[in-house]
Amino acid sequence: MYADYAYLIVALPVLAFLLCLFLGWHLPRGGGFITVLATFGALIVSLGIFSETYPDKIIHQSMPWFADFNVGILIDPLALVMLLMVTFVVTLIHIYGNGYMNGDPGAARYFAEAALFSASMLGLVYADNLLQLFIFWELVGLCSYLLIGFWYRKPSAAAAAKKAFLTTRVGDVLFLAGIILLYNNLAGLNLALKPGEYLLQFPVIYAHLTQIAPDQLTLIALGLLGGAIGKSGQFPLHVWLPDAMEGPTTVSAMIHAATMVTAGVYLVARMFPLFYAAPYGLTAVAAVGAFTALFAATMGLTSFDIKRVLAFSTVSQLGFMMAGLGVGAAVGTFAVGVSIFHLIGHSFFKALLFLCAGSVIHAVNTNDMREMGGVGKYMKWTMYTMLIGSLSLAGFPLFTGFFSKDEIIVIAYEYGTLINFLPYIFLVLAAILTAIYTFRMWFSVFTGKERSDYAKHESPWVMLGPLVILAVFALGFGIAAQEDFYSYLDSNFEHYDLDFAELGVIGGHVLEGEHGAPAAEGEQGAAAAKGAAGEGEAGGEEGPGEPWYIQILPIIVAIGGILTAALFYWDKVKKFDPSQVTGEKDPIRKMLLKGYYQHEIMTGWFAETVVYGTALICNTIDIKLVDGWLNWLSAWVMGFAQHVRKVQTGIIQNYVTALVLGVVVLVVVITLAMEVGLV
Amino acid sequence: MISNAISLLIAIPLLGAVVSFFAGTKAKFVALIASLIPLALSLQMYLEFDKTSKIMQFVESYNWVPSIGVKYTVGVDGIGFPLVLLSTIVSLLVIIYSWGETKKPNQYFALLLLNEVGVLGVFTSLDFFLFYIFWEIVLIPMFFLIGSWGGPRKDYAAIKFFIYTHVASLVMLLAIFALYFTYQMPDGSRTFDMLTLLAATADKTIFPTNMLNIIFAGLLLGFLVKMPAFPFHTWLPDAHVEAPTAGSVVLAALLLKMGGYGLFRVILPMLPHVDKAFVTIIAIIAVISIVYGAFMALAQKDIKKLVAYSSVSHMGFVTLGAVAFTWMSVTGAMFQQFSHGIITCVLFMSAGTIQHVVGTRVIADLGGLADRMPKFAVIMMAGFMASLGLPGMSGFVAEFMVLTGSFATLPAYTMIVVFLSIVTTAAYHLWAMQKAMFGPILKKYMNVHEPHAYELFSMAMIIVLSLIFGLQPGLITDIMGTAATQVMQPVMTLTQMGVI
Repeated sequence: MYADYAYLIVALPVLAFLLCLFLGWHLPRGGGFITVLATFGALIVSLGIFSETYPDKIIHQSMPWFADFNVGILIDPLALVMLLMVTFVVTLIHIYGNGYMNGDPGAARYFAEAALFSASMLGLVYADNLLQLFIFWELVGLCSYLLIGFWYRKPSAAAAAKKAFLTTRVGDVLFLAGIILLYNNLAGLNLALKPGEYLLQFPVIYAHLTQIAPDQLTLIALGLLGGAIGKSGQFPLHVWLPDAMEGPTTVSAMIHAATMVTAGVYLVARMFPLFYAAPYGLTAVAAVGAFTALFAATMGLTSFDIKRVLAFSTVSQLGFMMAGLGVGAAVGTFAVGVSIFHLIGHSFFKALLFLCAGSVIHAVNTNDMREMGGVGKYMKWTMYTMLIGSLSLAGFPLFTGFFSKDEIIVIAYEYGTLINFLPYIFLVLAAILTAIYTFRMWFSVFTGKERSDYAKHESPWVMLGPLVILAVFALGFGIAAQEDFYSYLDSNFEHYDLDFAELGVIGGHVLEGEHGAPAAEGEQGAAAAKGAAGEGEAGGEEGPGEPWYIQILPIIVAIGGILTAALFYWDKVKKFDPSQVTGEKDPIRKMLLKGYYQHEIMTGWFAETVVYGTALICNTIDIKLVDGWLNWLSAWVMGFAQHVRKVQTGIIQNYVTALVLGVVVLVVVITLAMEVGLV
Repeated sequence: MISNAISLLIAIPLLGAVVSFFAGTKAKFVALIASLIPLALSLQMYLEFDKTSKIMQFVESYNWVPSIGVKYTVGVDGIGFPLVLLSTIVSLLVIIYSWGETKKPNQYFALLLLNEVGVLGVFTSLDFFLFYIFWEIVLIPMFFLIGSWGGPRKDYAAIKFFIYTHVASLVMLLAIFALYFTYQMPDGSRTFDMLTLLAATADKTIFPTNMLNIIFAGLLLGFLVKMPAFPFHTWLPDAHVEAPTAGSVVLAALLLKMGGYGLFRVILPMLPHVDKAFVTIIAIIAVISIVYGAFMALAQKDIKKLVAYSSVSHMGFVTLGAVAFTWMSVTGAMFQQFSHGIITCVLFMSAGTIQHVVGTRVIADLGGLADRMPKFAVIMMAGFMASLGLPGMSGFVAEFMVLTGSFATLPAYTMIVVFLSIVTTAAYHLWAMQKAMFGPILKKYMNVHEPHAYELFSMAMIIVLSLIFGLQPGLITDIMGTAATQVMQPVMTLTQMGVI
């Protein structure tokens, strides 16, 4: 029965958008409660659908749109867990936003845009075809642009918004190219589609992957990956994400940490069969993800802006998720479950961390951690909820992040034994750094002396409430849900007409599967034979596959990192000072602070010099050449006329002479022509 | 069923033009009525239009100059009808937008209506002679709009516009004459009937390829200059910059579409019978127009010139989709005509409003206007987003269809466009938007205020239209899809269709 109302998941936030946009100005707090109610309604519908479909049903509704395209809703396990996460987190953030945005004159605009964002994100998640997904994907980008530039009077906010839009658009171009390529490949097959089937629908794509040429599959996969890189802030298109922190903190939490940035990971997960079938598809995903995870973590280590630390952390964690999908080359669809589990867990604790940071910023009125210190004395609730978030992010045992992140590291190890150890090494290093920068942040904000004169008060309950709820999830979600989650997600692709063994042949994964990967084989075999339910153990307890030290390593890494941070930044146990390791002049530190000079390279050199330079060259060509010849021609005509007008002397004798001469010439010409036979 | 719908459609604005010329300051009311009726009429036609039929509808045919085979034949199919609808919509909105015009309003509104007469005639004529007359009529109101209401360099711009496009039209006329004098009807008489002549071009015994190549090139030049396509586009920025806002709107929204219409009506039916090199040439022109237009827009300092170059870029999609010659790309190209026609209005109106509220259009001199004009800022933002191809609005659907469809036959060209133009297009839109509207409000603009309600209204209507057609493209792509199928088949004459 809830399934019939699935459209409401998008329709309610759209309605809230319209109401806030046109009426919000007249409502208290900009009509924020409307947005909360809308997303809460979407959450109820999603929960209803979950209760109806769990564990083994999917919902697919579709209707024609225009030309060869349709609009439709596809709710399978993958989409459903995303729907639940997004509606849940976004509702909490909207509640928090009612407190955070209180008194801002643009509150109505904020809630309108936030509602549109929620609608777009939810539409993206349960789209049943790639075009629709792309449309919502772009709308999500628009909302991100609008919300980053929410304080549009600030030049830095306007610039950050533009940068975000353009950088992600580079990725979108690749995504679009991928869609065009995929469409044309499928159209070229001249499929006999049943009524209600359309070329870009996911079930149709899955069913015909084997018929597409492998090199085309790779190109398509790389295109889609490009889109994912842009949206999920992966190297080298991550540059927009730290700048995106110019928006209100709620926006950072909602869009740039918990939900929108996960869209890229979701896309790869959604198209996992295609990536699996494409030779090099998953290799590229793993490489990008693992590199980004480490690369971003190094930058998180040096930032002083609390939101930028969290932003780099987000980039890094998204790298983990990507890498988790990429190592699916070794473990098959199990990787989707692991990666999405981290995605969900991450959105809980990262939303929590951002909201805590927002709570701190709200009170202290600065983003700079050098001006905080000792905040914990005045903000107990914020401090402890943020501690939970930090422990979870660092991967401390039994917290959500421990289960999700460490499982990625474990399957990366399996990938290592079969294919390549590099992702594993990168991820372990990144995990160490994660623990260090997380607790560097926590210690320097909440402990120690007050380093500036800030307002000392706790945030209101409308803000703390969501923190507590999120903290509960950051603490308990992992231990409570892990096994059921894996088995539920594992069943995802069984609903479709595809065979991973066959796809693996195309993708070149079969050899590894045959002689190296009992775990992966067993995993797939079990899934195929027994279906979804009850097979959750397969992933979590693959104990015999890995030596004990691999199992225990993530724990050591997390605790070691936290201790290291404590030795540097916790006044009670402080043994070292950061200045002993590095100084103002240190070129590595400078490079990290500058974000590897990416801004200089991409904005300064590429955008302003290459692109704008090309534009100026075109302009010169246009003026001098394309238009120039025309003006030259008209000048020549005018000049010629100046000469010719001298013939008009006004003296009768001259005219008569000319007339007679003309007649003579004519007669001669005609005579000659008749002689030759032309006339 | 309305009889003589098309003749009424053309006659009413013509009558309105005459009346408003003599109506003095009441001209705007006359103009409003004289543009509302055609809109109502064309909406009624939309309801009556058979979307799946491949024959000409609303056909009227009368002898005009029988001795030389000139007839008054009008009718619409899926190629022309969407543009008829576009013309009536845009003409009405531009008249509302110009509600406050005080300089010689009688002439001003008369010229706008005359312009509507011209474009409606072009989109409905099925006789080359009639077609050419309407084609040239359009030049006159635009020449005077630029010349009398224009900016500082209006004389240069008006004359350049007139001569450039007129020369191209003359070349086209020569090509039409070549068609006319080559083809003889079975009874020995000659005809200007468009479909008969076009159907005849398929016959190699009448039109040998070499000859047809030359005729084709002449017609093509006429249309490409009008579009305008690189390298024949330079009249456009000058004309736009100097023209009054209404003139710019009409120019970009309707006059450019005449070129695109020519591609679908005349060029595509001949394309299979001419030298294959033409496909390459046109494709290259299209790609350069798109990419180069986008880069040119990025380099502009005047916001109106930026919008003008964006037209060059967007019209390139029409050319690309047409020449790629697949069902999807041709449908998309037709939709791009329609979509660009509405979206470009809001861009030029934004530029015009900024000009008269703030007093300058130089982007570098603007800043923070959103602070003082929030409603205008929202509408302008929506317009710019529509123009840069944001999904949910009509531009995206059109460009997506063109690119997806073109890839099947012209993969390399399509990918160049995808990779070089999409980000650049977003860049110049956002850059202009950011500089003009965002950031701190400049001191000198503290006293600017929201524009008049009628300006905001006409701009908002366009956003609504762009959303409607972006969310429900089928409203009009169904018609275009039928037309695209028909374009790719041999031309049927009116007699074969059984309509006369």
